[in-house]
Amino acid sequence: MNYIDEKVAPKREERLGTCVDFGGSACDLKKKFKGGCMKNNDRGFCQGSICQLLPGLSMLNTIPDSVVIVHGSLGCGGAGHSQSAAVRGRQMLGGSTNPRGTLWLSTNLNEKDVVTGGEAKLEEAIIEADRRYRPASIIVVSSCVPGIIGDDLDGVVAKVQPQVNGIILPVHCEGFKTKVMATAYDAVYHAISRNLLESEKDKERIYKNEIEEATEKIRRSKQVNLMNVSSGTPGDEKELTRLLNALGLEVRIFPCFAHPEDMKYATQAALSISTCPTHDDYFLKYLKEKYDVPYLLKYMPIGIENTNAWLRDVAKFFHLEEEAERLIERETAELELSLKPIRENLKGKKAMLSSGEVRTLATAVWLKELGLEIVAVRPYHYDEFGEPALDSLIEKDQELQVNVGTVQPFETANIIEKNKPDIYLGHNSDNVWAAKSGIPVLPIYGGPNTYVGYTGAFDLARGINRVLKNPAFNKNIRKNVRQPYFSNWYTDHPYKYIVQEDENL
Amino acid sequence: MNDRFIERPRSFCALGGAMLTAGAIPGVVPILHTAMGCGGSIYWNQVGSTGYLGAGYCGGMAVPSSNVKEKDIIFGGTERLAEQIENTVKLVEGELYIVLTGCMTDIIGDDIHSVIREFRERDINIIGAETGGFKGDGYKGYDLVLKTIIENYIEKKPQKSKNKVNLWGIVPGQDAFWRGNLNNLRALLSKLGLEVNTFFSESDTLEGIKNSGDAALNILVSEVYGIDSAEAFKDIHSVPYITFQLPIGPSATEEFIRKVSSVLDIDSSLSDNVIESENSLYYRYVDRIADTYNDQDFQRYVVVVGDWNYSVALTRFLADDLGWLPELTVITDFFDEDKDVKINESLAKLSSGYKTKVVYETDASEVQYHLSRHWPQSNGQKFYDSFSPAFVIGSHLERQLAVNIGAGHLTVTYPVGNRVVLTRGYTGYMGGLNLIEDIFSVLVAQR
Repeated sequence: MNYIDEKVAPKREERLGTCVDFGGSACDLKKKFKGGCMKNNDRGFCQGSICQLLPGLSMLNTIPDSVVIVHGSLGCGGAGHSQSAAVRGRQMLGGSTNPRGTLWLSTNLNEKDVVTGGEAKLEEAIIEADRRYRPASIIVVSSCVPGIIGDDLDGVVAKVQPQVNGIILPVHCEGFKTKVMATAYDAVYHAISRNLLESEKDKERIYKNEIEEATEKIRRSKQVNLMNVSSGTPGDEKELTRLLNALGLEVRIFPCFAHPEDMKYATQAALSISTCPTHDDYFLKYLKEKYDVPYLLKYMPIGIENTNAWLRDVAKFFHLEEEAERLIERETAELELSLKPIRENLKGKKAMLSSGEVRTLATAVWLKELGLEIVAVRPYHYDEFGEPALDSLIEKDQELQVNVGTVQPFETANIIEKNKPDIYLGHNSDNVWAAKSGIPVLPIYGGPNTYVGYTGAFDLARGINRVLKNPAFNKNIRKNVRQPYFSNWYTDHPYKYIVQEDENL
Repeated sequence: MNDRFIERPRSFCALGGAMLTAGAIPGVVPILHTAMGCGGSIYWNQVGSTGYLGAGYCGGMAVPSSNVKEKDIIFGGTERLAEQIENTVKLVEGELYIVLTGCMTDIIGDDIHSVIREFRERDINIIGAETGGFKGDGYKGYDLVLKTIIENYIEKKPQKSKNKVNLWGIVPGQDAFWRGNLNNLRALLSKLGLEVNTFFSESDTLEGIKNSGDAALNILVSEVYGIDSAEAFKDIHSVPYITFQLPIGPSATEEFIRKVSSVLDIDSSLSDNVIESENSLYYRYVDRIADTYNDQDFQRYVVVVGDWNYSVALTRFLADDLGWLPELTVITDFFDEDKDVKINESLAKLSSGYKTKVVYETDASEVQYHLSRHWPQSNGQKFYDSFSPAFVIGSHLERQLAVNIGAGHLTVTYPVGNRVVLTRGYTGYMGGLNLIEDIFSVLVAQR
C-alpha cells in the first residue's frame, strides 16, 4: 500500500466509496453500494455532526506519555475536556492515584494568524511542550484553519524534530476535507505507521544463546495484536483478552492507551486481530504489506454468532480449531443458561439501533438472535465492511429499513414516531434524541459496560432487560419536553432531505 | 496579548460561546454556517466542561448546520447556507433563528448578511453574526450574539420605563452556573421593585428581550464581559450601563445593591430594608455553621483559579465574608492592561485588607509553579510554616494541584466536569450560602 508514503491519508469516500447519506431498504443499500454511486449523495437539511477531528482526538488523547497539540483555533480541541474523564479512568486502572487526564494544547490561531500563517506559533508550541512536559511523543493535529491558510504541518515538524526529544507525529484531521468521520482512524494509523513503528531504539535484540532465541520465537508465534480505537471499554478489552488467553495467545492492545515507544511491537506479532473492520483495515493491511503480519478483519465479536465466528477465524489461523470449539461450547452453555429468563422478556420487543456501521449492524444481528425485532438501523456510514453483517440481517429481512447518516437526529425522530420501537441502542451524544421520543435507551458502546464477546453478549441482553423495566424517566421527558421539529415533519418521509446522486444527474 | 498557544484552554471558541449563548434563549434556534464538525465539537466539549449541560431544545447534535464541504470552501458557501435556512424554517420551529458562522466560512468571506436579508424580506425572524472561532474566545462569542440581538432584534423604544433593567455579564457555558447566577440576581433586584430581563435564563422570553429597549439601565455584573454589547445598546437604544464585579456573598452584594439603587434613584429606605432583611437571613443560616467552622478549624489558605469574573468575586467572598486566606489568585484569561487596572482596583479594596497575589496564567499545569514561587519553600527546617491547611477553588483541572498540595478542592470555574449543575448559583446572598455549603461539604466528605 503506497498510502503510507504520502503525507496525508486518503479520504474514505475516495478510498472505499464510503457513503454517509442514504435511506431505504437493506437490499437497496447493498445494490446501490455495489453500483458505487452513493458517495456523492447529500442532504439538503443537515444538523451539526462529527468531523474526523473528533474521533481522531478520542484516539490520540489516550496515548500515554504524550502531548496533543491541536493546531487550529481555540475551540477545536475542546472535546479533550470531556474525553479526559475516560482517560483519567484508565490512568486510575493503571495505578495512578492522581491522574492528570488528557494533556493537550491549542495553538489558538487568531485573526492575525489567519492572515500571516500559524507555523511560527506551532513551532513554539512544539518546543515548549517538549521542554515543559518531556513527553515521549508530541502529537500535532491539524484542524480546518491550517488546511485553508496553507500551513505546512509536515514542514514545521521536519524543521523542529531535531530540536526536541519527543517524537513528533503530524496528524492531518482537517474537518472540512471529508464527510466520513471514520477517515480519522486512517489519519491516526497513518501517523503511527510513518513515525512510531521503526524507531532508532528498535534494534534487533541480542540473544544469549540459541535456546533463548528459540524461546523468544515461540513466544512471538503466539503473540497477537488486538485493536481498539477508543470505543472499546476496559470491559471489552478484558473480555477479548480473556478469550484469546484461553487459546494460549498473548495479547497486546493497540493503538489506544499503548505507549508510543511500544507501538513498534505491533510489527512483531504473529497475527493482527481487528475488533471492528471499519476501524482497522488501513493499518492492518499496512502491517501485512510492510512487516508481513497477517490479519483477520471480518467480524466484530458482538453477540454469540459473531463472537463464535471471530474466535473460529483466530483459531483456524493458529490451528487451534478443536480448542476453540471446546471454549465456545463451554462459554455458550453457561451463557445460554443465564440468558434463558432474559430471552423470555425480550422476545418480540422492537429495537432500533445507531452508531458506527459495523457495531450497529453486528449488534442488530445479536438482538435478532435474542428474539427482538429490528425496526430500523442507522449506521453512521456504510461501505464494504458493513456487508457481512448486513447480509446476515438481509437473510432474515430483505426490507429492513436502513438509514445511513452521521448523527442527523431529525431523521431518528421521524423513524421512531413512525415505527415506535420499544428500545433504542445508540451512540454517545446522539442518544438523547431518542430519549426525547420517550423510549428507553441503552448506549451501544462506552461507559462501564462490556459489549463484546460472551460477557458483552450477556451484558447487552441484561442491559436491555434492565432499561425496559422502568422507562419512566424518558417517558416523562417526552411528556414534558418537545423536540424542535414542526409536527408535520412526522408525517413527512424520513428521507425527504436526502439527495441521491443518481437523482442529481 | 493572546498570541501564544494555550494548554487545555479554559474557554470555548467564539463560535462555541455564541452557540451556547444563542441556545440559552428559549425559542431561539441557532443555524451554524460551518464545517460539519463544529456543532459536534462544541457539544462534545460542553458536556464535560459545563456541568453536564445537555443539548436542550435545539442544540447539541440537533443544531441545524450547513456543514460546508471542500467544494463550498472553494466556490463559496452562501448557496448551501440559503438552502439550509430554507429547509430549517420549514422543519425546525423557532421564534428566532440566529445564523452563526465558523472559521471556514469567515475565512472565505461568505456574505451571510445578504442571504439573511432575503429571508427577512419574507418576514422570517432571522438574524446572524460572524463568530468564526479564530475571532476569539467564548466570551467574545457571547458579545457577538448579544450585539446582533441588540442591533437587529430589540425594538427601539424612546420612552424608558423607570423600573426596568437588563442584566448581563454572565456568560452561558463559560459560567456553568449561569442560570442560577442570573436567577439569584433577578430575584434580588426584583425586591427593589425592578423588572429584570436577564436574556439567557430558562425563565426569560424572546418577547421580553424584544421589548427590553425601554430599560432604564443595563447592569453588567462583570467589569469586562459584555462591554461591547452595552456600548452598542447605549448607541442604538440610548440606555446607559454600569459595571460591577460579579457579586457573591453579603459584602459584595450589599455594595451592588447600593450602587444600583443610587444610579436608579431608588428610595434608600427600600434598599436599606432589602439589605437588612437579606443580610439577617444570610446570617441566620451562617450562624448554624459557626460551631463547626470554629470546632474544626475550617479556615484555609486558598488558591483561586478562574476567569476575570470568578477570580475576583471568589477572592473577595473568601477573604471578606468567609475569613479565609486567598494567597494566590490566578486569572486564566490573557493579560490585558485595561482589565488589569480594574482587577487591581477591585482587589485593593477588600474590607478584610487581605492581599492576594494576582497572576495571569492560561495553562493549568503552570499554576503549581506560581504557588511555589509565591509561598516560601521549606529549607528542610523542622518547624516550617507550610501552605496548609489549604483549599483550591478553580476548575476540575485544579484537582491535580489540590491533591499534590494536600488541599481540599471545589470546582466552580470552567471546565466543570466533576459536578452536575442545574439551578445552582453563587451570586447574591443565596449564592454565598450555596458556596459555603459546597466548600464545607468538601471538608466533611470523608467523614
